[in-house]
Amino acid sequence: MRVRSLFVSFSILGAFSSIALAQVVIEGRVELPKSHSAPVVNKRYEIVTKGGVLATSPPLAVVYLEGSFLKKAAPATKQVAQKDLTFIPALLPVRVGTRVEFPNDDDTYHNIFSYSPAKRFDLGRYRPDEKPIPSQVFDVAGLVTLRCDIHEHMRGLILVLDTPHFVTTGDDGHFRLSGLPSGRYTLKAWIDSRTTRERPVELKSGSTLHVDFP
Amino acid sequence: MTSAREEKKSDAASFRAKLFVAMMLVVSGLTAAGLYLAERNAAAVAARDLQHDFQAELASLHSVEELRYAALAERCRVLVEKPRIHAALEDNALDLLYPSAKDELRDVMEDRAASTEEEQTSGLHARFYRFLDRTGAVLLPPNQNDVGFLRREEQSQLALKGLPEKSQIGYLLRMAGTENELIDEIIALPITSTETNEVIAALVVGFKPVEVAEKRAGGGMKSGIWLNGWLHLPALPESARAAIDRDMTRALAAPQGEGRSSRVEIEGAPHLLFYKQLNRGSVFPPAYEVCVYPLAPALAQQRRLRWQILGAGAALLVAGFIASHFIAARLSGPVEQLAVDSAENRARRKRVEAALASTHAELERSARFSADASHQLKTPVTVLRAGLEQLLRREDFEPEVYDELSALHHQTYRLTGVIDELLLLSRMDAGRLEIEFTQVNLTALVEEWLEDLNALPDPLDLGVRTDVPPALYIAGEKCYTSLILQNLLENARKYNQLGGRIHLRARAENGWVSLTVGNSGRPIAPEMQEHIFKRFFRGAMGENVPGHGLGLNLARELTRLHGGELRLVSSNEKWTEFEVRFRAAEQPVA
Repeated sequence: MRVRSLFVSFSILGAFSSIALAQVVIEGRVELPKSHSAPVVNKRYEIVTKGGVLATSPPLAVVYLEGSFLKKAAPATKQVAQKDLTFIPALLPVRVGTRVEFPNDDDTYHNIFSYSPAKRFDLGRYRPDEKPIPSQVFDVAGLVTLRCDIHEHMRGLILVLDTPHFVTTGDDGHFRLSGLPSGRYTLKAWIDSRTTRERPVELKSGSTLHVDFP
Repeated sequence: MTSAREEKKSDAASFRAKLFVAMMLVVSGLTAAGLYLAERNAAAVAARDLQHDFQAELASLHSVEELRYAALAERCRVLVEKPRIHAALEDNALDLLYPSAKDELRDVMEDRAASTEEEQTSGLHARFYRFLDRTGAVLLPPNQNDVGFLRREEQSQLALKGLPEKSQIGYLLRMAGTENELIDEIIALPITSTETNEVIAALVVGFKPVEVAEKRAGGGMKSGIWLNGWLHLPALPESARAAIDRDMTRALAAPQGEGRSSRVEIEGAPHLLFYKQLNRGSVFPPAYEVCVYPLAPALAQQRRLRWQILGAGAALLVAGFIASHFIAARLSGPVEQLAVDSAENRARRKRVEAALASTHAELERSARFSADASHQLKTPVTVLRAGLEQLLRREDFEPEVYDELSALHHQTYRLTGVIDELLLLSRMDAGRLEIEFTQVNLTALVEEWLEDLNALPDPLDLGVRTDVPPALYIAGEKCYTSLILQNLLENARKYNQLGGRIHLRARAENGWVSLTVGNSGRPIAPEMQEHIFKRFFRGAMGENVPGHGLGLNLARELTRLHGGELRLVSSNEKWTEFEVRFRAAEQPVA
């Protein structure tokens, strides 16, 4: 449903914008760091820190197109749930201005907070099924580390991006960005808190571009 | 004699003096050695006691430090598990670190308002704390009041070149040189991430250093900390501190100069200085615990001990004096007596020896004289006899002249006999006569004499009876034994009376042979009997009896040379009897 509404919003955006809004698609693959962990069961990811570097495990990347795009009035609300003492999803890319809700799906209290420069907040302790669902608006681009004051091992990441065009790769590194406007942009791939690869791209209307990040 | 004795006495006195001096020396030496050993021992014991004291203080310091460390380590472990601390450290939100840690570390800090005396001295409350970031730099707190005030330069001293893997102990000198000078013990603890096991920060906590309790060590002991060439010991006057500073600098420059003790003068009084590094192996600058103990009590005790030992030594000396006097007297008395006696003995012996020597010399001289005389006499006698014999061969003299010449001629023989006997005697006297012992047939000798007797004219008409066993052998030299026998038998014949008797009786018994010669001659007066064996003694013998008083003497001397004896058995009106004893000999194998 959410995907559909996103699609709808994109088409609305496209309708409002110029002719340049052609259906450009970028496909490709990001070379993800080798993961030594066991294959993930039930697509569970977690955030690990190594030498101060945060990344998902198994590795995931976020590919996004950087450029000046028109501000959208209010992006849709997203959710990062706490389930089985983890954040789901572990890594959430959002556009600047997005409100993110943090529902507690566990049977215990959580206290989600962040000391990250991009967003400092502290939701305080709240029960499961707390209403309204505690939420925060992320209006500064950057990486926000989510923590729980009660469960010290819990980590989550919210990548706040100043672009509406982004996608999370699969665990094989493949991605597909569609509905992109034509023009010259920079395509970036966020791999971990320290590593972001980029590639200048020229998007032509109606074309499908293939970009790999080695 | 008396002067010698006195000399000996003075010798003995000097021996006594020597003995006394030796005893005095021994007593003095023992006292001195005792004094030396006791003093050394006392000094060593005092130093050791103080050293033990110092070590005990250090041990108590260490125990408090361990307590602090354990408490802090636990605190840090808990702290690092706090997600907010993690978040502050990891998410570049250091400004939130101190607020986040404030609650956690609240009880670590001194509660200035409500701290009781007990809490103050427990030493578990910190004066300040700071965090070090990944590079070891001090994270500046937003509000100094919550974390304990530090001046900027003091704060910068907490920084390290990197984060330590282990906890580190250091010392921080604050407001040096001012009245409020104080020193803080600081403990830096690494904060290790529970996720990555990496040291992500460090917590530095400052405490009031543990005071070495003065009441334990007794009065006068002062302790402080020496850091970066600066001695923090406010109780000391400036000059003394400078002296200790110099001493410490010098001692620490020397290899293995640490943990020793040395003596220092503080305001003219000797003190013993101990020091030991408090933070061995720390990345913070080295700091030393310095304890200064006054030596006055120890020295006073040493003085007391010295006087006691000296007193004891003096008493010992006096006792030794008396004892040695006593012992010297007791010992030297007999020695003195012995010395005198032996000196007297020696003198006496020397005198006797001298007398003996002179006697011997005289004897030898006389013996040699008689030997020489005999030789000198024999020659003229022989010449005389030859002359007389020549005259007797002439025929132109009157018959009376012949009688006279014949008598003279006979006298020359007598003279020769005397000379021979004198010669023999002188040889014996000189000890030059040696008997060559053989087996001599006594029976044969007696028979030979009897034959000679029968050949002689017998004016007295003597009756001779012999009772001699056949083949009786004696040990001797034949010429001398026959001489002895001849003498005896001749006497028995000569001194007999008309129609007298001679009785010869020989017996062998117990390895001896005795020959008894009895005659019925005139008795020998009892007062004469002891003299008859003397030389040239003829007693009351008439001059008509031939003899010269040498025969018996010669016989006895010869008999004695043979190991035998010649004696007068008895002499009375009717019967005179001599007995001669020889050692018996085996009959020679034919």
